[in-house]
Amino acid sequence: MRAEASVVIIGGGIIGTAIAFYLCKKGMKDVVLVEKSYLSSGSTGRCGGGIRQQWSERMNVRLAMRSVKLFERFEEEIGMDIEYYQGGYLLLAYTDEEVELFHKNVAMQQEEGLDVRLLSKEETKEKFPFMNLEGLKLATFCPTDGHANPHLATMAYAKAAEKMGAMILTHTEVTDIDVQSGQIKGVLTTKGYIKTSVVVNAAGGFSREVGLMAGVELPTESYRHQIFVTEPLEHILDPLVISFVNNFYIRQTKSGNFIMGQGDKDEPPSHKHDPSWKFLTEMTEKMPHFFPFLKEVRVLRHWAGLYNMSPDAQPIIDKSDKLSDFYFAIGFSGHGFMLAPAVGEAMADWIIYGSPEEVDISNLKMERFSKGVSREKNVV
Amino acid sequence: MTECDVLIIGGGPAGLAAGIEVGKAGLKALIVDEGVRFGGQLVKQTHKFFGNEEFYASVRGFEIAEKLLEELRAMDNVELMPESTVIGVYEDGVPILHRPSDTTTLLRPKRLVIATGASEKFLQFENNDLPGVYGAGAVQTLMNQFGIMPGENVLMIGSGNIGLIVSYQLMQAGVNVKAIIEASNRVGGYQVHANKVRRLGVPILLRHTIIRALGKEEVQGAVIAQVNDSWEVIPGTEREFVVDTICVAVGLSPSAELVSQAGGRLQFISELGGYVPVRDENMRTTASNVFVAGDVSGIEEATTAMVEGRIAGLSCVKDLKGITDEKRLKKFQEQLRAFRSGPTSSKVRKGLEKLNLSFPEKLPRETAVEPSYEAYKGKLRPIIECSEAIPCNPCETSCPFGAITIGENINNVPVIDYEKCTGCGICATKCPGLAIFMMQEKEEKGTATVGIPYEFLPIPSKGDQVYALRKDGSVAGVAKVTKVVKAPNSTTVVYIEVPLEEAREVRHIKVVEMKPEAIVCRCEELTVEDVEKAIEEGYTDFEELRRRLRIAMGPCGGRTCRLNALMILSRKTGTPIEKLDPGTFRPPVIPTTFKAVSKSAKGGESSEG
Ligand SMILES: Cc1cc2nc3c(=O)[nH]c(=O)nc-3n(C[C@H](O)[C@H](O)[C@H](O)COP(=O)(O)OP(=O)(O)OC[C@H]3O[C@@H](n4cnc5c(N)ncnc54)[C@H](O)[C@@H]3O)c2cc1C
Ligand SMILES: Cc1cc2nc3c(=O)[nH]c(=O)nc-3n(C[C@H](O)[C@H](O)[C@H](O)COP(=O)(O)OP(=O)(O)OC[C@H]3O[C@@H](n4cnc5c(N)ncnc54)[C@H](O)[C@@H]3O)c2cc1C
Ligand code: SF4
Ligand code: SF4
Repeated sequence: MRAEASVVIIGGGIIGTAIAFYLCKKGMKDVVLVEKSYLSSGSTGRCGGGIRQQWSERMNVRLAMRSVKLFERFEEEIGMDIEYYQGGYLLLAYTDEEVELFHKNVAMQQEEGLDVRLLSKEETKEKFPFMNLEGLKLATFCPTDGHANPHLATMAYAKAAEKMGAMILTHTEVTDIDVQSGQIKGVLTTKGYIKTSVVVNAAGGFSREVGLMAGVELPTESYRHQIFVTEPLEHILDPLVISFVNNFYIRQTKSGNFIMGQGDKDEPPSHKHDPSWKFLTEMTEKMPHFFPFLKEVRVLRHWAGLYNMSPDAQPIIDKSDKLSDFYFAIGFSGHGFMLAPAVGEAMADWIIYGSPEEVDISNLKMERFSKGVSREKNVV
Repeated sequence: MTECDVLIIGGGPAGLAAGIEVGKAGLKALIVDEGVRFGGQLVKQTHKFFGNEEFYASVRGFEIAEKLLEELRAMDNVELMPESTVIGVYEDGVPILHRPSDTTTLLRPKRLVIATGASEKFLQFENNDLPGVYGAGAVQTLMNQFGIMPGENVLMIGSGNIGLIVSYQLMQAGVNVKAIIEASNRVGGYQVHANKVRRLGVPILLRHTIIRALGKEEVQGAVIAQVNDSWEVIPGTEREFVVDTICVAVGLSPSAELVSQAGGRLQFISELGGYVPVRDENMRTTASNVFVAGDVSGIEEATTAMVEGRIAGLSCVKDLKGITDEKRLKKFQEQLRAFRSGPTSSKVRKGLEKLNLSFPEKLPRETAVEPSYEAYKGKLRPIIECSEAIPCNPCETSCPFGAITIGENINNVPVIDYEKCTGCGICATKCPGLAIFMMQEKEEKGTATVGIPYEFLPIPSKGDQVYALRKDGSVAGVAKVTKVVKAPNSTTVVYIEVPLEEAREVRHIKVVEMKPEAIVCRCEELTVEDVEKAIEEGYTDFEELRRRLRIAMGPCGGRTCRLNALMILSRKTGTPIEKLDPGTFRPPVIPTTFKAVSKSAKGGESSEG
């Protein structure tokens, strides 16, 4: 094990590995990534893999658009097929408020240069005849949205970073961060001490706990989110479909399985990973209404992962003002996978050059919480 | 049933026996089974059983089931629910899928007894996914339960008790068993069972293995060949059998996924068949409201399954009522001890030992000189396992330091003085009985180096991965070769590193290569080669492999492929299989329709949840 590192990244999910990749790519030497279990064992390996640019907050749109640019050249740049597929995202509006919000969103998204359009109920029916669109008022569709395989993406970043000299330590847990008079000196792991002056907290569901190791209070909390997959069917559904009021998202994987989930408003904060039967009954009751063919389809596997939530459901990408060189990229709620390429790139730039180059992430700093919270509305 | 105190999953001998005890105490029990008929493995067995008189020895299997059911049917407070599968154990309840109506019911019992038995192990050979290749259990179910013959001509793979019994049953039903093949050099099952099939003219071909199944759409034949002492195919010995069915009977592994979902810890214990629930002498798992009994807690016999079921049942009663018939409980525990004290239970005893459950052996010892492992622990030294009086003394004469004494009578057993011994290892290379093993424990690493006198070809090299075999020939796992000492005209000693707890057991190695084209996972059609390639790419965790290859993600939920993939992983990475994380067992246990789940009726809730 390397006893000294220029940067130690805590967390081997998509965020940590993306940062490692971009740090190495931009010439950083001696990068060490520490993961307590296996790569993508956290939220990343449990997530839906959706990649969307249709957000209500401008910052999220920009970050996601930048990520899509990077996903589009992922295979070429990193050399691995991660099952990236641009089948679009279809967002369904059922209430007047949603109609109003979607109009506003589309205008803002188009201003940002996104190819997104409004679809009437009839247009939607024509495109997706197998859906029951009863009660639908309007939909929006962005053809460049899509999905990819999160596990493969994580492995691709990790392997590429390793090739460029990074050290990836799996099954190694960071147990403490050594801070002396406002300076990071190193991290203590279950496999020994690593000397470093720069630490990146990319610990996903455990971001708050890792922050506390350095004595930094981070306003994040983790919540269980459940998801399940069906047996494979013929390919019929190209886009990922979301309804916010009906609280669901659904997509079909490359192998034909349907993956779907919902948010649970009553879920208390926890680190629980066990699925509940209640979730499965609610979903199986709800979904065949919108996709009638699902009734006879069989559920194969059901699991849960953590949403790491910030007060406004947007990520926190910042550097501590209390001690030197403690960075964090956390609080990604349900959309950390899709933002990872842009976040990885921005963090690497920030660490190496002192500021992010490609996208402006200034709005994602902690200081925003002192100004009052404008919550991202397009979330499940 | 809307309310129950104890939910018993599995209606084999273990589950039925548990139900009787719970029922007798006046508590409400529900026994759920996937099958049309209750009785588990018993209903398929038309032969007379071995075991304890009191537990229906010499009664036929299906009749034992009938006797247990008769007793249960007389109880109003015990309900039987056939054709129903428990599809998961969730934090908020236990859903039961009733297959004929495709509906689910959620129960929240106070106690759970998991008696789900075992599933068959699967063998890797070319074309093993052709229709006509069956597990022995499937053949039994078809034949004895549904009266359907699997084919006309059968090749049986495996001469353990199951292979022998199923062959016999096939012959009884008029199906021709062309041969039973067995890779090792002796019959695995009881002599009496072997004699039974021999009397019928079925050849048992020792040192034979199957190479491939023949046929395009279905099995039309099989190619078998002889293997040498190191289990490698001897070229030129291949021969074809014209058969329409290949029946695989290579052992069972416990179906413990529900225990894991319920929060009970599993441990890999190969003597007990694979991953088994950690549990105490009252059959309580590490999840305090969850009990196990029968094959799910370790592959054994119907007798022990029934006794364990009774213990589990009485333990539930004790939990819920505060008291139980302690005398009965003691009696059953005593019966288990008595049953397991014999020579045929040595494997089970060893397995249970690893769970800190000790069952004393009661055997007449022939000659008392047991190797003392405790003396000089940690020092590199020979362990002499030669306690029979034979006329032999090379150990004495070969030792340059005079540490081994046979004495005047050449029939004496050797006695070693570890004070004089330097650990040079010469004796191990000289002993003609291959009875001297080198050993050095490394407590801090939790491993031990074992030097094994090895007279097979090929001789492995330092750094190679080999299978470590126990005294009884069972695979203890995969071990790394740390040193090879070749001495001219004497035995090569291969040093391997094994987990400390295996050091006294591992006495042989096997150098084998799995056929790269053989199927590991039937759902995703993955071969050994696919898995090996992924491991070489750096996917060295089961969960990583699963996500990379989609192994264990198919409809079978990993029942067939998980263990195979772990074996390959262990062999490739050199990590003993018991140290590998078997990954998560995600519900539902079987694919369940939206319709069935959404219609889920909510059963009674208990105060304890
Ligand atoms: C059910 C579900 C569906 C989702 N669907 C989507 C989707 O469709 N699209 C999308 O973009 N996002 C989705 N998400 C969100 C997405 O999964 C996360 O935002 C993203 O994976 C976060 O990545 P991460 O690297 O920050 O966290 P993680 O993947 O959780 O990685 C953090 C890692 O840090 C490790 N760690 C923690 N503490 C320590 C320590 N002390 N020492 C060492 N290692 C440590 C953990 O083991 C973990 O592997 C979903 C999430 C869930 C739960
Ligand atoms: C060919 C053969 C010959 C044998 N001969 C002898 C002998 O001579 N003497 C002897 O003592 N033993 C013998 N045995 C062993 C004996 O049959 C088993 O040890 C015994 O049946 C184990 O009992 P059990 O209750 O644990 O499991 P099983 O009998 O396997 O019963 C488990 C039951 O659980 C059900 N189940 C599993 N999962 C679920 C779920 N999720 N939901 C609902 N139900 C579920 C299954 O359908 C099954 O009915 C023999 C076994 C075989 C295969
Ligand atoms: S190891 Fe060497 S010294 Fe020890 S008993 Fe054997 S031959 Fe003698
Ligand atoms: S040479 Fe081997 S078999 Fe012979 S007495 Fe010595 S230890 Fe026993």
